[in-house]
Parts: sequence; structure tokens; C-alpha cells
Amino acid sequence: MPKILIVDDDPDLVEAVTMILESKSYDVIAAYGGNEGLEKAKTEGPDLIVLDVMMPDKDGYVVCKELKADPKYREIPILLLTAVVSKISTTRYTQQMGLETEADDYIDKPVEPAELVRRIEILLGKA
Amino acid sequence: MTTGARILVVDDEQIMRDGCTRILSTGDLEVATADSGEAGLKAITKGDAFDVVLLDLMMPGISGMEVLEAIHKVDVNILVIVITGYATVESAVEAMKKGAYDFIPKPFTPDQLRIIVNRALEKRALQREMELLKLEREKSLRDIATEKSRIGTIINCMGDGVLVCDRDSCVVLTNPAAGRMLGIQESSLIGNPLPECSIDGTLTETIMESLRSADSAFPTVSKELCPSGSPSTFLRAHTAPVKNDLGETLGAVTVLQDITGLKELDKMKSDFVAMVSHELRSPVASVQQQLSVILEGLSGELTERQLRMLRRAKERARGLLDLINDLLDLSKIEAGMAVQYKEPLGMEELLGKIHEAMLPEAEAKRLRLKLRVDPPLKLVQGDRSNLEGVFTNLVNNAIKYTPEGGEITIHVKGEGENVRVDVSDTGIGISKEDLARIFDRFYRVKSEKTRQIVGTGLGLSIAKHIVEAHLGTISVESEEGGGSIFSVVLPAVPSSSQ
Repeated sequence: MPKILIVDDDPDLVEAVTMILESKSYDVIAAYGGNEGLEKAKTEGPDLIVLDVMMPDKDGYVVCKELKADPKYREIPILLLTAVVSKISTTRYTQQMGLETEADDYIDKPVEPAELVRRIEILLGKA
Repeated sequence: MTTGARILVVDDEQIMRDGCTRILSTGDLEVATADSGEAGLKAITKGDAFDVVLLDLMMPGISGMEVLEAIHKVDVNILVIVITGYATVESAVEAMKKGAYDFIPKPFTPDQLRIIVNRALEKRALQREMELLKLEREKSLRDIATEKSRIGTIINCMGDGVLVCDRDSCVVLTNPAAGRMLGIQESSLIGNPLPECSIDGTLTETIMESLRSADSAFPTVSKELCPSGSPSTFLRAHTAPVKNDLGETLGAVTVLQDITGLKELDKMKSDFVAMVSHELRSPVASVQQQLSVILEGLSGELTERQLRMLRRAKERARGLLDLINDLLDLSKIEAGMAVQYKEPLGMEELLGKIHEAMLPEAEAKRLRLKLRVDPPLKLVQGDRSNLEGVFTNLVNNAIKYTPEGGEITIHVKGEGENVRVDVSDTGIGISKEDLARIFDRFYRVKSEKTRQIVGTGLGLSIAKHIVEAHLGTISVESEEGGGSIFSVVLPAVPSSSQ
């Protein structure tokens, strides 16, 4: 089964996402910060990364940028979890931030389980 | 003849007095007589205001010359015409030297008398007019002096700084507040060219620019500055050129406001907003995420009752999240930070997307959601995501407040130099009392029908702010039970620039 890395500083959110993914029999590993996420992305060899944006130690954009700049990890699809500050600026925010960061897709928190699974399947080429 | 003028005839001969009175008593002229110098002087000193005196030089008692002198002691403006009995040039000349206005030799014809008296009266009228003008001028000078003193006092008492420069950029007027704000002595500003006064460079540049600007459509320039002397002070300078009636620049006026306090408040507000967004929003999002996982049955089977309660809990959490989002939006909009990325937008495409996005939600409630476009449509200069927010909100409201089986129409059409979007529904409508307050913050229509509908009461308030930031208008027409029409009118990009 594909291995998915979930990176978020909020353990409750990690647990919830983990439960969604495990229910679809994905192999899930968790990281609770940007640095830990970056390290696990390199050591664990995940097939996909679900990456939170706002994290205290290293934010998701930086993690994404560093991975995409490295030829060894460039191919790992990244799904950004954007806890968008404001509804009105959602479009602009995602345009400016999510897309510019070469993330493969982005989704607003909180996510509907079915929608998260659908997006992941698309990124893994299963849809 | 001048109206209301008064003439005094001073002559010892009855026949002359009667003759003159008869000749001159026409129109408005009033003629009085005196049979001797003494009587004449008495009439004049009594305070009767005479304009012209016809004075016989040869009279018993005091002579005409003496009377002439005495008259001018009373009022130098009274015009005296001497009547010279024996046509002697000498006495006429002497009288003129003593200040007589004119002379008339005896005998004279009525016409000759009328001509001379008329001329004197005209001169008298001119004199009067001049006196009046002089008085007026004195009064206006006094008024100007008063005004100047008043303006000086106002400017000196003002809390805002004032800096006035002439066209050569010399400081001609300033006040203590300006000196205080710029950290410079008032006296070292006045009379000196601006670039030589050691004041903020940005300010000098702004004022110089204002002096140079030939004719700009927006003559007032506002700039924020931070004077080098005191780094924690923030000033806002409003500069405008002073023009004469020919449109030439005569100088520039600058008003300085100390906005340090406002800046501090602004920062506190931003900090607070950031705090709220992180500390409040994240936990609620997390709760919602956990609830959706439980609701999916991923943590075990739920009873029907648990399901129902948790669904409602999730709904409430979403409402809370919406409220937080709306509050953040509103505070951003109020800070003028929201409508910043304007571009020419095609409303057909924008509304098409919204129609498509909202369709599932409408269909889930068995509502027909229609999009009607009346071409041609001009482009609108707008912020895409903000306008999407406005129309999403309007359609969302229509869906929320329209019972199953109803119809919602998004109708867009050109309207002169504007583009008009009507979002109409067949919903529950809005009562008259609610209609007046529907765009107020946190206002929600409370009734049996709306009790179950989740909302923040901020959506329309935000929509109004956004539309107004686009120089547009938003309005509503509705009747209780008769559906609602929300109309947004946005100015189109002028055709020339399309």
C-alpha cells in the first residue's frame, strides 16, 4: 500500500487525518513539525506528503520548496493543507501561495474525509 | 437733479431769495432762505445739513466773505456759490481763494443758475459717494485685519501642524504644532527656503512636487512620514497647491497630523487579529476535523442519536469557524487591506463559475439555480476573490432562505456605464423592519423560519463594504413571503481603456 507522510504541528489533526487514511488502508507516518517532516520525507521515502502550512518551526512553504529543489525528492507529490486565514482572500492566498510553491495540490482545513481521499487518489494516479 | 438735496439761499434782497427759490424748487430739491449772513450761519450751525449755499457777497451786517469762512469752519464739504453783485472779478477770485466752489454774477438767467447749481449738486453727489467708498474700504481693511488676526489665532491654537510656502518654496506661515512635530523652532522656519530648513526630506520633496505640479486632477497629496528626529513618531502630511484665479500656483499648504496613536492602535488591532486567527481558528478547525472523522464512522459505529447530535455539533463548529473567518475578513476590509488587487473582470465568466460551484448545493435542496446573461457586458475593474465572495454570499443566502422547490436567478446585464447583477429568489422574503437593517453588522432576521439557519450576520455587511470599495452600490428589494432581489451595480471600465 502507498506510504503517506502527514506533517502538522496539531496532534489532533494528525490523528484525524491518520484515521481517514488508515481507513483506506494507506500506510501512514506522522511528523509534528516542519523539520521533522523534512527529515522523514527523506528517510522514510513516502509516496505522498500531506503538508500543513502554518507550523512554528518551519512552515509548509519552506518544506515544500526544499523538497522540490532536490532532484531526489522532487517527484513526491505534495498536498498542502491551507488553514486559510480568511475566506475572502482564499483565492488570492492559494494563488499566491499554494500554486507558487509548486505544491501539487492544496486543500483547506478542515477537510471532508471523502474529499481528502479523492484528492490523494488523483495525486497517486489512482483516480 | 440729485434727490433730496438741500440748498440755502443767503441774500438780503427779498426778490433774489424768492427768485432763486422759485427757479430751484423743482423735483426733490429743498430750498431754504436766510435774509442775512447771521441768519444763514444760524441755519447752518443749527445742524440742518445743506449741500449747497448760494451766498450774496454784499450784505449789511457780516459780509459774505466772513460767512464763507464761517461756513467752512462748520463743514468743509458744503459747496458755496457766491453771488457777486457788481460782477467784479476781484471779489469772485478772492471768494474762490477762500474756498468757494463757484460764482455767479448778477444779473443771471434762471438757466445759468440751474446749470451752476446742478454742477455743484453733482459734485456733492460724487463727494458723498467717495466718502461712502472710503468708509467701506476702511471697513474692509478692518475686516481683513480682524480676519487675519482670527486666522492667526486659529492656526496657532490648532493641534495639527500647518506649513505654508510661497511659490519660491519659502516658508511664509507656520504654527507651534508644526514646529513641535518636525522638531524644529518655528522661527527658524519662517522666511527660509524649504530645502534649507532641516526638515524631513520626504516632506520637502512632497511640497516641492506640489509647487511644480501644473494642473493635476487630484491636487491634495497625502504622505506618511517618520521625522528623522523622533523615530517613534508618525506623521501624515496633506499637501495641496494654492492657485490664483488664473490657475497659477502661488504656493502650497501642508497640514501635518500626528498619527502615532493611530499607528499604535492599528498595530494592536493587527496583532489581535493574528492572535484570534491562530488561537481561535485552529482549535475550531481541529474540532471540526475530529468530528468529521467520527461521523464517517472511522472510530467505530455510532447510534442514530449520536450521529444526529454530532452532525449538529459539526454544523455549530462550522458556524463558529465562519464567524471567525468573517470577523477576520471584516477587520481586514476595515483596515483597507482587502480590495487591493483590481483587474478588469468579465462578470459573465465570474458569475458562471459561481453558478457552477453553487449548483450542487442548490440541487441538494431541490432548488433551480439559473444564470441569465444579457450581453453585451462591459468589463468591471475589480478584485476577483472579493467579488466572488460577494456573489457567493448572495447566492448562498438565497439558497439558505428559499424553501425547497423554489427558484434562484442570477441575472447580469449592462446598465449605462455600469454592470448590474440581480440575485433574485422565491424565498421567505424580508419584512420591512428587517429590510432597513439587513446590511448592519451582526444583524440577523429572527423568526420561526430562520431559527434553524446557521449564519454569522456579517456576510451582507462584508458584501456592502466590498461593493462600496469598488465604488458600486448594493441594494435589496423584498417583501415578506414574496422573495428577495439583491442588486449589485458596479462601475464598468471606461470603454476607451478596454
